[in-house]
Amino acid sequence: MKIISKVLLVLGIVFTIGQSAYASEQEEVKELFLKKIATVVNIIKESTNTKEERNSKIVQLLTPTIDFEIMAKLSLGAKEWAKLNEEQKTTFVKLYVERMKQSYSSKLDAYSGQEIEVTKILQPKSNRIELVTNIVNPDNNLEISYKYYKPAKQQEGKDTWLIYDVTILGISILKTDRAQFSEFLRTKTIDDLITRLSNS
Amino acid sequence: MQLIFSFLFLIISFTTVYSSDSFDEFEEEIKVEKRIDPLSGYNRVMTSFNDVTYEYVLSPVAKTYGDVVHEDIRKSVRNFFHNLLFPVRFVNNLLQLKFQNTLEETERFVLNSTLGFFGFYDIGQEEFKIYPHNEDFGQTLGYWGVGSGFHIVWPFFGPSNLRDSIGSFGVDSYLNPLIYYDERPQNILNNIEDSRGILLFKKVNDISFTYKQYKIMKKDAIDLYPYLRDSYEQYRDKQIEE
Repeated sequence: MKIISKVLLVLGIVFTIGQSAYASEQEEVKELFLKKIATVVNIIKESTNTKEERNSKIVQLLTPTIDFEIMAKLSLGAKEWAKLNEEQKTTFVKLYVERMKQSYSSKLDAYSGQEIEVTKILQPKSNRIELVTNIVNPDNNLEISYKYYKPAKQQEGKDTWLIYDVTILGISILKTDRAQFSEFLRTKTIDDLITRLSNS
Repeated sequence: MQLIFSFLFLIISFTTVYSSDSFDEFEEEIKVEKRIDPLSGYNRVMTSFNDVTYEYVLSPVAKTYGDVVHEDIRKSVRNFFHNLLFPVRFVNNLLQLKFQNTLEETERFVLNSTLGFFGFYDIGQEEFKIYPHNEDFGQTLGYWGVGSGFHIVWPFFGPSNLRDSIGSFGVDSYLNPLIYYDERPQNILNNIEDSRGILLFKKVNDISFTYKQYKIMKKDAIDLYPYLRDSYEQYRDKQIEE
């Protein structure tokens, strides 16, 4: 009986520590996110920049938080990725990153500094955090969710927690890309896809 | 004491295994379920048709309309139509056993139809902070576990699937006062031309708010049909989940 109560006590302590570690990790991710967003809003409000300067500044600011490489790999899927040779891999990642940056920039043009609030933080696993945010518009709110993972080893020049997927109103960037790419590759080759990406 | 330590060890070793990251772990999350798509040939053609219609007809018309008509007026028009479609939301909230939402929708309808001047002003949201709960019969079917079925692209209406088509063209159309055009004193519209005209006007008014977003969204498409198809299905899954 004594042993059981001791075990329960220790378990209790371990779980409490575990829980508060979760909470502080979530807080850390949220704080960093809000800090970066505040900087983004400031950059947008600085009227001295041209659109291109502004967008490149913002992309530069956010790059350490986003794992573009893993997004590129995941958009193809492990099976397709394994078929690529080294040169194709490098080119594909480069083009994919470029595409993401452009896509993000064009979305930035539509953003005019509305308030962004974090509505929910989820941690489905110890190394996954999902930040559910809301862009507050007078007539329709826009829910955007940022999915983070924690790499086993922190990458050089990168944050501890990295974004690997973004969902807008429930639509995941990775999933739609995966669907598009796999449909494309059903009838065409990876080199065709690379050409298509470099043309857009 | 030894027992305690072995327990601790177990927990620690468990968490380390748990947090190691690998490609496989992501694969599980990203995996896109294979969707059966027997109409893909037709759907592709219809997607191109809709895209051209949208880009070269609807979107320019909506843009001109939006340039001429002030945003506040367009919002009022949107509110008016939204209010008219209350029966759809009422019935479907009820069918999903969302009683609180049903009540709130009813409150909104009463407030907006009276104090809100026939629904032109959304007083429910602006003053009373009662927000809409959009539900349709496709979502109701989804709520009760009905799968989406194959994907269908409708001319002018765009992406849908079997379940949602039954919902919107079947059940919900009976709840939509803009589709009742028999000559009966209680109907708002007199004939099918009026109905089509008013639906088109509603569409143009709606598009005047969204045509820019479509352009931005389209930039991300390598292949428009699967892109829109998957976006639609994911969006609906999310709506049903809520």
